[in-house]
Amino acid sequence: MDFALSEEQELFRTAIRKYMNDLDRTAFARSVISGNLDVVANATSGLAEMGVTAIPVSEEVDGLGLGALDLVPVFEETGRVLLPGLQLETLALAVPLLESFGTPAQKAARLPSVASGESSVSIAWYERDGSLFPNSFSCIAGKTESGYALTGTKTLVPVIGDPDTFITGAQTAEGKSLFLVKASDVASSRMLSVLDETQQLAEITLNQAPGELLGEPGHAAEMLKEGLLHFNAALCSSMVGGMDELVKMTAEYAKIRVQFNQPIGRFQAIKHGIVNMKLDLETARSLSYYAAWAVETNATDKAAAVHSARSFISKAFIKAAADSIQIHGGIGFTEELDVQLYLKRARYYENYFGSVRDSRRATAQSLEWHSTPAKRDAVPVS
Amino acid sequence: MDFTFTKKEEKFRGELRGWLEVNLPKGWLQGDRKLPEDNEHYSKFLRDWQRTLYEGGWAAISWPKEYGGRDATLMEEIIYHQEMVRVQSPPLVNYIGIHMVAPTLMQMGTDAQKEEFIEKILTGEQVWSQGYSEPGAGSDLTALQTTAVKKDGKWVINGQKVWTSFAHLADRCFLLTKTSQSEKKHEGITVFLLDMDQEGVETRPIVQMDGHQEFNEVYLTDAIATDEDIVGEEGKGWAVLIALMLHERSGIAAQVFTLEQQFDSVIEMAKTVRVNGCLLIEDPFVEDGLADLYARINGAKLNYYRNITHTLKNGRPGPESSLDKLLVSELTKELFDFAMTIQGHAGVLMNDDSVFSAEMQGQYLASFGATIGGGTSEVQRNTIGERILGLPKDLGR
Ligand SMILES: Cc1cc2nc3c(=O)[nH]c(=O)nc-3n(C[C@H](O)[C@H](O)[C@H](O)COP(=O)(O)OP(=O)(O)OC[C@H]3O[C@@H](n4cnc5c(N)ncnc54)[C@H](O)[C@@H]3O)c2cc1C
Repeated sequence: MDFALSEEQELFRTAIRKYMNDLDRTAFARSVISGNLDVVANATSGLAEMGVTAIPVSEEVDGLGLGALDLVPVFEETGRVLLPGLQLETLALAVPLLESFGTPAQKAARLPSVASGESSVSIAWYERDGSLFPNSFSCIAGKTESGYALTGTKTLVPVIGDPDTFITGAQTAEGKSLFLVKASDVASSRMLSVLDETQQLAEITLNQAPGELLGEPGHAAEMLKEGLLHFNAALCSSMVGGMDELVKMTAEYAKIRVQFNQPIGRFQAIKHGIVNMKLDLETARSLSYYAAWAVETNATDKAAAVHSARSFISKAFIKAAADSIQIHGGIGFTEELDVQLYLKRARYYENYFGSVRDSRRATAQSLEWHSTPAKRDAVPVS
Repeated sequence: MDFTFTKKEEKFRGELRGWLEVNLPKGWLQGDRKLPEDNEHYSKFLRDWQRTLYEGGWAAISWPKEYGGRDATLMEEIIYHQEMVRVQSPPLVNYIGIHMVAPTLMQMGTDAQKEEFIEKILTGEQVWSQGYSEPGAGSDLTALQTTAVKKDGKWVINGQKVWTSFAHLADRCFLLTKTSQSEKKHEGITVFLLDMDQEGVETRPIVQMDGHQEFNEVYLTDAIATDEDIVGEEGKGWAVLIALMLHERSGIAAQVFTLEQQFDSVIEMAKTVRVNGCLLIEDPFVEDGLADLYARINGAKLNYYRNITHTLKNGRPGPESSLDKLLVSELTKELFDFAMTIQGHAGVLMNDDSVFSAEMQGQYLASFGATIGGGTSEVQRNTIGERILGLPKDLGR
């Protein structure tokens, strides 16, 4: 039994944390809010120097060929300071999709520049009706002599730090299909106003934009679901980082804020509230580690591991932030205190590529609760 | 990260499984797990079971070989609990003796105490209880009022204990008393190994809300003990108490695995019970709630695995292991609360009339004890807040 990150992974965490401290922690997130977007590129190149962007990329295309567990400390630490950027979308969704479904030529064309930190890739998936798995896309991909041309509008597209490529979904004769589209081929885009101002979302319009098919046509949903297992495991780590910071901040404040001649942390309503945050944090951490392990080792309960982690952590992150605001009192309601940034980030992630309800339904399905299979053996994974 | 068991560990598991198949009470594995109702037969049944465990070398595997244990590793202990939960083995009547009292005596008992008690604890000849709580001293044990006064070379003990588990079956009691009044509340406490078979000790069973009678009132009226019955030093009982608590290193394992098993049984129910022609699990409310519980129960188990890993690496549990009891006991309550809800009105039926399992309604009622016994959830939260998060101490603590 060894349920812990390895020594190297913990060392790597220390290095990333130090770098995040050098970046002055949430200062980068706040720079984005005040309109200074240069910081995003700075952070990406800093992370690239440390080798972060090469972690999930296979060695044949200049990466390190490491697994989901090696991303755990990275995303916990970037999540802890709400680092703005497309690290999750690029490293935990685009890379797994390209690695799993891309042709050798597609990988060779894109992954080396991802590994070196020069390129980031985003996902243009949602359409205006907002559903994650619509029956069909209104964005149409028509066949041309050299490939496909895409026409339609995508929304809720993360564009922070100027991604050069979008992975997008469009309707073909076979059904819903995945495509790679160059950002420079986007006809027009409109920035959307977002609750979490450390994010940038756009509505983008494609007008006969050249698209390169990714994987089998007609299988976009299955491919995205597979990619989302990687993404959700990483997203969970990022949220755990945020929760960890919330517990720290809140406990520290409860020790120094004095009312009625005593630190408020002595009042049990406050003390027990923070302990409950801590309980959720530890459960979240365990679930996120296990999800990453299951993804990395392709465990039989991989889907249940990821979906159950996501369902729990999405909710727990919001709750931790909300409770932290209350425990801080008036200062908690201010723009000045970072806690509000965490609340907005938690809300941003709640329904990002799937809701809590979706994750729970997926948990039930992956555990085959709706059929009648043999009972789970009481003896765990071995 | 690695969840596999070593060959040696698997061999250990195989050995235990093989032994259980042959030695569990007749019909047990086939599902006939009814324990005798009346006290005498109940007591005999459980003592016999412990005797069987002892003869097979399975009563106290974590003990050193010299005392009749197996020097089991932490992982072997965990496997042991897993297997015992898997077959839903009869309870260990001398749990307190084996997991708490004897290890404490091995550490700080006198040679004479070791000689006199340890083997009898192992064989089940001597069953133990723990006398801490009193009417006026529950969460705050330092408020205890049971006194032991020395007269003519003997200790004379007077007072009342309450909620004393197993006292009705026990031969001895690990008893907390006050031997001197001191300004400092943790001083003047002395632990006695009290012989319960004497005139000055009267045990009255208390009926629990689940209908069982597992805990008791114990009245001490001029009960007698000797210097030889004192554990550690006179007046330094608090340190003994802390030492005893530290010995209970794997008890939570059984609770973690039991919770997992109980969850599986609720899933079975949701997959087999129909309401209005529709399986419970097809109701989105049921599916959603169970998936939420799955995440949290699995999370609690994984927390425990993380804590085991810490112990294996560092030789002692980390601070976070104090979260396990709180999480597991609270989740058990929530699980059965939800299980009751989804059964509809027929959920009020119990025993053989129960919708799904004859045990479930009783388990629901029993779940309320777990967040009180062994330190209430509120007290656990105080401890976690103060020890792990460094929050200021409660006034009066
Ligand atoms: C099934 C079961 C088995 C038991 N077995 C034994 C046994 O074998 N031997 C034995 O000695 N005892 C045993 N007990 C007793 C158990 O240890 C006590 O019930 C427990 O410690 C609580 O004490 P109390 O009942 O006096 O409650 P109280 O201490 O009076 O608590 C009442 C309420 O006040 C809360 N409270 C108390 N202090 C604080 C605080 N500082 N901050 C916040 N809230 C607080 C409690 O959480 C609780 O909600 C058992 C209890 C149960 C339920």
